[in-house]
Amino acid sequence: MGDRLTQLQDAVDQLATQFVASINYINQHHSLETLGPRDQIVVIPKQEADQQEVDPHPEDVFRAAQIELARDLITKEQQIELLISILPGLDNSEQDQERNIRELEEELKVAEAQRQEAIKEREEALAKLDTVIRSIRRP
Amino acid sequence: MDEEHQQTASTWPQPPSFWKDFTPDSVSRFEDLQKETAERLGVQDPSTIRLENLPRELRNLQPPPEPEDGAWRVFSDTYRLQNELPQLDDGQIRRLFPNSEERDQDGKHFDRATILKRLAKSLLLNFLELTGLLATNPEAAHEKITDIRDLFINFHHLINEYRPHQARESLISMMQSQLDRTRAETNGIRDAKDKAERVLEGLSSLTIQDQAHDTSLEKDDRYGPDGEAWAMLME
Repeated sequence: MGDRLTQLQDAVDQLATQFVASINYINQHHSLETLGPRDQIVVIPKQEADQQEVDPHPEDVFRAAQIELARDLITKEQQIELLISILPGLDNSEQDQERNIRELEEELKVAEAQRQEAIKEREEALAKLDTVIRSIRRP
Repeated sequence: MDEEHQQTASTWPQPPSFWKDFTPDSVSRFEDLQKETAERLGVQDPSTIRLENLPRELRNLQPPPEPEDGAWRVFSDTYRLQNELPQLDDGQIRRLFPNSEERDQDGKHFDRATILKRLAKSLLLNFLELTGLLATNPEAAHEKITDIRDLFINFHHLINEYRPHQARESLISMMQSQLDRTRAETNGIRDAKDKAERVLEGLSSLTIQDQAHDTSLEKDDRYGPDGEAWAMLME
């Protein structure tokens, strides 16, 4: 899980992979057609089927797989669009960002100074408490 | 012979011979020299200074100057000092979006998002066309595949162009969270301190009352447990 841009880039790459996978599936598992009246579909014995280039799936399985592949493609595309629209800082220009960074830097300095001050105050309070306790312990 | 054999057998090349020059003694001598020269020349940062006429044994401690033409080769790959994003036009890829000067008015990036979305839609459409072509006229599919390739490369190019922007954006959010953390810590410290002071004040008024009641032995007993409570508070 990287930043948004990397997620987007990965999603685009996945889309490309899905393209290839879809075509590959259709190429391997489509049904066989006769091109002319004298053609015949040769039924290949089961054990040899693995070595064949085309391994026809039954009509309904093939259709369902096609629909699933298509649906996945659409989902991926919508995912990509969503990722695009939530890219960070779309409405910030470079100048905005620089100004922002500078302001934050100043604020950080102030906050850090305040923190140090608070620590000092805490130590003073501690010292005060310490003296009080000591004076009580030794009447 | 034996040495040669060892060299060919190791996975990585031998370290360069000058690694033995980096003894703690030489390193500190080199740093002293750097500091001296920096003071003489009135330069703030000694590490930016290049020393001339170094003694032989210190010469390797100074990193070589940057390559003049801005390029160098490591493991037969060329690297450049300026790590620029290659332009699409160089790679014979059609550019499918307007120039950066013509889009993203006022430095905002809405146009980029629109272009990216358009490219994503085009990808789907082109894929649909490709499947259609493959079914009817596979020979013509090659052109469509080039189209899809160009679309993908364009997409990646736009994404990579956006990376510096995103890097700054992450920096901003990191600074913001750092700021929030620091402030929360300060507040926490102040709260604890205030609490301690309130307790102290409460006790001081108690002391006056007790002094009115007097007897020091009783007082000691009374403050025994309180003292423990303070000690706990301090922790």
